[in-house]
Amino acid sequence: MNALRMRDVSVRYPDADRDSLDSVSLDIARGEWVLLLGANGAGKSTLCMLTNGLIPHVVKCSLKGQVEVFGKDVARHSVATLSTKVGIVFQEPENQLFCMSAEEEVAFGPENLAIDREEIAARVEWALETVGLLGCNDRPPSSLSGGQKQRLAIAAALSMRPEMLVLDEPTYALDPIGRIELYSLLADLKKKHNMTVLVVERDAEEAAAFADRIALMSEGRIVRTGRPKEVLADPNALRFIGVPPPQLCEFSEALYTRVGGPKIDSITLEAVAREISTVLSAKKGVEVIHP
Amino acid sequence: MGCQNMTGFVDLYSEGGTFLHRIDARVKIVAVLFLSVLAFLLSNVYSLTLLLAFIFILLFLARASLSRTWFALRFVIRFMVLIVVLWPIFDPSGTPVWATFGPVKITEPAVWRGVTSAVRVGCLACVWYILMFTTSQRDLVRALVKMGLRFDFGLALAISLRFLPTFSATIDSIKDAERARGMELDKGSLLKRSRNYVAILVPTIVSALRSADTLSLALHSRAYGARADRTYLREPKMRRQDAAALSVVIALLVVPVFFKFVLGVPL
Repeated sequence: MNALRMRDVSVRYPDADRDSLDSVSLDIARGEWVLLLGANGAGKSTLCMLTNGLIPHVVKCSLKGQVEVFGKDVARHSVATLSTKVGIVFQEPENQLFCMSAEEEVAFGPENLAIDREEIAARVEWALETVGLLGCNDRPPSSLSGGQKQRLAIAAALSMRPEMLVLDEPTYALDPIGRIELYSLLADLKKKHNMTVLVVERDAEEAAAFADRIALMSEGRIVRTGRPKEVLADPNALRFIGVPPPQLCEFSEALYTRVGGPKIDSITLEAVAREISTVLSAKKGVEVIHP
Repeated sequence: MGCQNMTGFVDLYSEGGTFLHRIDARVKIVAVLFLSVLAFLLSNVYSLTLLLAFIFILLFLARASLSRTWFALRFVIRFMVLIVVLWPIFDPSGTPVWATFGPVKITEPAVWRGVTSAVRVGCLACVWYILMFTTSQRDLVRALVKMGLRFDFGLALAISLRFLPTFSATIDSIKDAERARGMELDKGSLLKRSRNYVAILVPTIVSALRSADTLSLALHSRAYGARADRTYLREPKMRRQDAAALSVVIALLVVPVFFKFVLGVPL
């Protein structure tokens, strides 16, 4: 059974002149990390809202096709039920943190499910520790930094004990270091708890290296899926859908057009550096110093 | 700046370890209500002054910083002075007449009525300040919910308190952005100035509506409203000292009421 299974899903908002999702099919395996890339208005957020039933239960629109999370049809289960399977983190940390302390924020979900007090306390402790915010229990969320706020939002989702996390442009307000911290946290959850991860971004800069698979989205359709290396090997495909390719890929591309040699298809800094030195050392008159 | 002002105005709470901080917020709410009722029942200026003195002692026991206390008291004192000055001017009843300025008669009973009302207003305001100084918004909302306020109302209250500084910050950045592009918000006639503020209001409301959208999605995503029997991680608990404080509070209302209405002592 897959974590997410979408078959020919179309979504249209009232008064819209086209479908926001246009017969989308997508499978995400348990424990898999999928990075969904697309420009503004590609339908990424709509897809996110399907995963825990916000569509069709809260957001009014017409839904065709079938969406199952961990075998549960989202149209037939309440958002509350699905929220114990899928935790969602939105772009703006400011608007999804509404409690007066970090602890209350994390306890809010389990409290709504009428879970025992001791169990809630244990979950709060675990979730705050997992995201590295233990000790900030009584701090008002507004006093936290951007990265801390986003990690608190993740903790608030984690306390529902979901098996999948869906993050809609979680690094929008973060600097590159904050982004890497956030992705490393998710990588840790994936490793330790076999967490399924769906991250939505508008660019692949730091995100690509963490993903198992990348899906490209444009105008309500998934236009391509594949391993990060394969997808990023074609920067023009990214540009075509309005997603800037990672700088490393652009660099490799430029190097290939000017120097020639074997095409560099790695996506991490280390690997690209290694490959560049191979390419360059194959050229006459270039001496490569190995560190 | 604005953000701080706004927060300061809305949240007077300052952390501290005084007994007033430690008492169950429910007891404090009851105390505030009882003392307010008492302030209305008492009509003798001396007993009201005694009550005000008692409230003042509590206010200083709350150990809020002097600047904060002054910030709070400033308004009350201004208001009290205004009452003392204006009451006799608009109330010409009673004798003896102390002075006459054209149609305005200043009488002795009116002056006393003014002072009495001013002291009563002082009591009513300061007693609330004690609560606000010593109780965090979080405890206040929790206490109200525990006292029977519906959870969704409590949540709405908590959310509005939580978002006030956010909106204040939004307004500030919109103002700054408009000023940076040459808008002179505080120039021109009153009408022009109030029109200028429409340019701030519209983007603020738009941004508020957007926040509300995300907020509602976030609430649903965390199973808000899933069950009527929701549990609470932290709940206010009545301890022995809270019970003791509550009995003192009850006595504070009952004893004067007994003396005044049963024994007929003119309190």
